[in-house]
Amino acid sequence: MNCHEFPLADCVDGTLSPADERAAERHLEGCPPCRALVADLRTVRAAAFTLDRRQPPADLLDRLQARLKAEPAPRSRVLAWPNTRGAWAVWLAAAATLMLSTIVGVMPLSRSARVPSTPAPNTTLEGSALVDSVEADLQAAESHYERAIQGLEQIAKTDSGELDPQVAAVLQKNLQVVDQAIDESRAALKTEPASSRAQDGLFEAMRTKVALLQQTVELINEMRKGNQAEAGRLMQDLSR
Amino acid sequence: MPSSKPSGDVRSADVELAARIGSGEAGAFEALYRQHAGRLYNLTIRMAGGSVEAEDLLQDVFLLAYRKIGSYRGDASLGTWLYRLAMNHCLDVLRSRQTRMGQVTDSMDEPDAAPVPTPAPTLTTVNRIDLERAIDALPPACRAAFLLHDVEGFGHNEVADILGVSEGTSKSQVHKARLRIRARLGTRA
Repeated sequence: MNCHEFPLADCVDGTLSPADERAAERHLEGCPPCRALVADLRTVRAAAFTLDRRQPPADLLDRLQARLKAEPAPRSRVLAWPNTRGAWAVWLAAAATLMLSTIVGVMPLSRSARVPSTPAPNTTLEGSALVDSVEADLQAAESHYERAIQGLEQIAKTDSGELDPQVAAVLQKNLQVVDQAIDESRAALKTEPASSRAQDGLFEAMRTKVALLQQTVELINEMRKGNQAEAGRLMQDLSR
Repeated sequence: MPSSKPSGDVRSADVELAARIGSGEAGAFEALYRQHAGRLYNLTIRMAGGSVEAEDLLQDVFLLAYRKIGSYRGDASLGTWLYRLAMNHCLDVLRSRQTRMGQVTDSMDEPDAAPVPTPAPTLTTVNRIDLERAIDALPPACRAAFLLHDVEGFGHNEVADILGVSEGTSKSQVHKARLRIRARLGTRA
């Protein structure tokens, strides 16, 4: 091993394999300049790790909270998952409406959202009434979800020319996979209308599609703003 | 050290906290601030090169976090997610400042400077003030990788995740930073 082959950074970090470490030690024994360099870089590394830690000023949180008061409520996609099927329908409808009004912003609902205001299905209902109630809730939720998807698809389709062709191709492929999952879930639901698993599967697939389209719209917006860092991060997410 | 590969419990707690912030629950945002403001403050001080601007940057980072909390999916810890926001914002601000001042911005892929060979170590001890000044003098991208790895203790995989670069680039940037710091401190020794 000569000086050009010497794995300096890994030697300083201590991440060499045992065999490489032995080879590096042999080189260092006969090479004072490399030995001096390793010692200096280890000194820098050790000193960096012991630099002072300061605390932010005590009033910084108050100043921040004053600024937050002027902010609209954050866009919430990370809502707590509901526990009951009735609550699912309410949540899905609300999520779809929220996405339309806050993210898409240009697709007003032509009719007010038929968000079921009833609580979780009452266990004293007759079986058929229960199924009817759940189906009505699911249809309402599905309808709202489809509207959200249509709105987002329209924007993504209109502006997709701004996307990198490679990212657009990956996105297209991902959407095809999600569409297939939606079709399969719909078929399963048709066979077993009361199956909670099939219902959950359908809404999960639709939720994924909305999220995917939403990311696409965010990406296009960041590219328009010239925010390369955020656009790069979103592209990485979309390309996974 | 925040981990980019959180355990199920940590991730679940992070997702829950993000959901509480998203739903506007009183105290949830303050909990996020108290968990992470200290470490992020130190990072912004060293990225900005001064405490006054660091306070503005830290506020900006938490405002951004508030606005974007809905995009947090729990695929990394909330700490790592915040670091990513913070570093992106700091680098944007520093690069735009450099552009305004007509300086050439650094790239993540610049080649390493050749180290100066010396027969004996030039650094026996390191004065912390000199070290802080040497860090201030690093180009932004190089400084970011060095601060995350050598000061904050993230692994190269985590640095790569936060900065959106490859692990190889992270290693190269940290190495380049150490060489530059050594060269600067060596002239004082």
